[in-house]
Amino acid sequence: MKKISFRIFLVLTAVVAGTFIFMLLSYAGDRSKGPFQDFLTSVNSGFASFEKKWVSGKENRSENLKWFDRYRINPVVLNSADTLLLGIYDDHTISSFENIVHLEDSLKINIPIISFYTAWGSKNSQQFPLLKAQSVHDLGSMPMITWEPWLDDFDPEDFPAIAGKEDNNKGGLKLITEGAFDPYINKWALAAKNFKHPVFLRLGHEMNDPYRYPWGPQNNDPREFISAWQHVFTKFKEAGATNVIWIWSPHLAYTTYTEYYPGNEFVDWIGLTTLNYGTVAPWSQWWSFEEIFQTGYDEFSTYEKPVMITEFGSLDVGGDRAEWYRKALDSIPQKYPEVKSVVFFHASGDNTTTYKTLDWSFISDAEVIEAVKAGIQKDPEPL
Amino acid sequence: MNKEFKLSYWKFREAAKVNKRKKLVLSILVVAGIVSVLHFAEWWFRAEHVNSPVLYLVLTFIFWWGIIRMTILWISYLKIDKPTPIPALDGLRVAIFTTSSPGEPLSMFEKTLEACSKINYPHTTYLLDDTGDERFRKVAEKYGAVWLELVGFPGAKAGKINAALKRTSEDFILVLDPDHIPFPNFLDEVLGYFEDKRVGYVQVAQAYYNQYRSFTARGAAEQTYGFYGPTQMGMNGVNCAVAIGANCTFRRKALESAGGHGIGLAEDMVTAVRIHAQGWRSVYSPIIVSRGLVPEDLGSFCKQQLKWARGVHEVLFEEVPKLWRNLSFWQKLSYCTIGTFYTSGLTMFLFLVIPYLFLWFGLLPANMEFTDFVFNWLPLAFFGVAIYSYVQNWLCHREEERGIHWRGMVLKFACWPVFLMGFILAIFNRDIPYIPTAKQAVKGFTPFVQPLIAFLLLYIATFIFIVLDRRFFTAEANLSLTSGGIWGMVAFASIAMIMTVWGIYAAWESRKLSAEEPWKYIEIDKINVSGRPSGKRSKTRVENLV
Repeated sequence: MKKISFRIFLVLTAVVAGTFIFMLLSYAGDRSKGPFQDFLTSVNSGFASFEKKWVSGKENRSENLKWFDRYRINPVVLNSADTLLLGIYDDHTISSFENIVHLEDSLKINIPIISFYTAWGSKNSQQFPLLKAQSVHDLGSMPMITWEPWLDDFDPEDFPAIAGKEDNNKGGLKLITEGAFDPYINKWALAAKNFKHPVFLRLGHEMNDPYRYPWGPQNNDPREFISAWQHVFTKFKEAGATNVIWIWSPHLAYTTYTEYYPGNEFVDWIGLTTLNYGTVAPWSQWWSFEEIFQTGYDEFSTYEKPVMITEFGSLDVGGDRAEWYRKALDSIPQKYPEVKSVVFFHASGDNTTTYKTLDWSFISDAEVIEAVKAGIQKDPEPL
Repeated sequence: MNKEFKLSYWKFREAAKVNKRKKLVLSILVVAGIVSVLHFAEWWFRAEHVNSPVLYLVLTFIFWWGIIRMTILWISYLKIDKPTPIPALDGLRVAIFTTSSPGEPLSMFEKTLEACSKINYPHTTYLLDDTGDERFRKVAEKYGAVWLELVGFPGAKAGKINAALKRTSEDFILVLDPDHIPFPNFLDEVLGYFEDKRVGYVQVAQAYYNQYRSFTARGAAEQTYGFYGPTQMGMNGVNCAVAIGANCTFRRKALESAGGHGIGLAEDMVTAVRIHAQGWRSVYSPIIVSRGLVPEDLGSFCKQQLKWARGVHEVLFEEVPKLWRNLSFWQKLSYCTIGTFYTSGLTMFLFLVIPYLFLWFGLLPANMEFTDFVFNWLPLAFFGVAIYSYVQNWLCHREEERGIHWRGMVLKFACWPVFLMGFILAIFNRDIPYIPTAKQAVKGFTPFVQPLIAFLLLYIATFIFIVLDRRFFTAEANLSLTSGGIWGMVAFASIAMIMTVWGIYAAWESRKLSAEEPWKYIEIDKINVSGRPSGKRSKTRVENLV
């Protein structure tokens, strides 16, 4: 009997101690995951930059964009831009920017701003997108990051404030203000600072749309948005990320937008979205650029901030798309002089709004290409 | 290192005792290891990781084949056991069988037979000879051995042993490979275990004395250290210690009940599984009471491996299914694990191919964040290394044998073409001719190195292709975002490339090996077995034992 209990004791000791050592090790692994990941990310982007330099000499996009250096190295010059800066978002840039280059070849220009989207969260892909930002910079452009505060992808172990919560997005902006995600924000801010070059940051866009994103009015009230914005902004300033240029970007269809404005000292640019969905859905109809844009422009052109059209585009359903672009681009320099930047929304697989995939791309539509080409050449690049 | 006569080799050695404290630590490590395997499994088997289902399956096979085998080994370590030495009884009738074949150097037999004649326990040595060479008979007679001319029996060694069994009557037979120099106390150490009438054979460690001769020899020896220490000790704990041919002492009755010595490329394993199936027990004693030769050149090593690869598959496909119902659970598991050892030829080949599928065709098996992989795999790797290091406590000659055994790993890796060939030959049931392991280094580049060179050329070509492609043909906009993936894969392929280069080095070194007779330096009288039993024996009646 004694022998049996001794054996059981030994077995139990082995099981308990073994599990304990394992836990210790995995815990240590989890802790060190951040620094190790960051190290690998910086090795990757450093190597990519090095390789880019080694290869440079054949084609060199940044040479053609030399005129833009004046803007992209100096936020002051950028924020008082004396010309219309073009930008582009293309949804096929996971492993290459070639789609953008193809479009540039068709349009016979080089586009200075490259836009992309990233969400909040604990995953590696939700940290500051150093590699992508660096790649954009190496190509002579400036990155514009739309930073979406989805709050359901955080690991409760690292963010104790959300432990046990069913839906972080309910009252999520209040959580942000209360500092629940400060470690994440600080880390992101530091990484952005270490990137060193100016970068557009468009935080919590379309915050006044009650149907789209969880950071909208269905979960939060406008004051909470403003506090959250100011909180994040302050964290960035504290981290010394002065190279970040803040775009505040409401939805023009809901005129409650003024309630969400965080104040002049917290915003660098005002970003307005003008997407014409045509007759693709029951709720939509063919709107001209002017119809979408006029009211909002009248409001925000008085804020003494440069205006960016952060998502600019039209679908092909229910009207003449080439005409839409032609008219819009004609009108911008004449009627809307505060608009200093237009970012083409060139997504071919947009499935964020309707149940079917929408195609905003126009690279294979010769008429639109001609219209856009004509529109942008009226405003020659300054030297 | 003293290349001539390394005194430390010629001394009796044994693995450390298994005490409760060490076993508890080992058990803790094993439990932690198993938990980390489960942890890794939980992460690995997720739908989000699958990129190409077929390739993911292949990748899973590569990884989990190794992990499951490792886990089985760990579990068997829980039963690690060193048998308590039992003094040999007096008056047993013992034979030593050693075989000679055409082409084997006569001077080696001089040494072996001299050592046999100096074994303390009374015995008769038989030289089972089919050389047809008169000089062999003279050497046998010189050292008091009985010369048996056994020409024309099938199955090389086994055929001669079976024929000799019919002509002799001793109750216990030590089968000794002719390159093995037995220590004087050999029989005293093993015969005691036969006091238990259920014991069919007693196996002891195989150790070598010519490791210094080459990279291949060193690596080949390193591969065996763990097996003759903790691995076989764990197997002994669950009564499935394997007979390895050399250095195995059989009870005649056990051999006869199994229909004599098995015939085939892995004839020793065939014999072992049959004896086990007859219900006999086996004993593994982790002691060094002889030293022999390990292949010195890559060609011989590959030949030996090919022979075994083909042989163990024979056991797996022919013997094990036939004897299935007579084997215990652990015996089944053990023979299946050994029988599938050479499947690693296939997994290693696939492991080699994966980076090239990506670099040439853009095929990627898995969607895994590299850091996620590292962190989920890290505990497993840690405990793998920890257990590997800890069980080195039970190496037979710990001072000499412990270490990370990287040469052994390189050599195992470099043998993937051989393993793969053995595996394929087994599946299609094709024969390879019986190739005796070379006793002396053979000059010239072995044909086994060709796949390695082909693989190295593939690596170089791929590397040049990628550099040129990225320097001149990759669009600027395409460069930065693909940099990490491509060069990461190249780094991954480089691991295999470095191993390959070492394999080629081993082959190159084998070419310039001088033919030497390493046994000529051995001085039998200097073998140090002081403090070990010899001569004095108790007086129990012998008939009881037989």
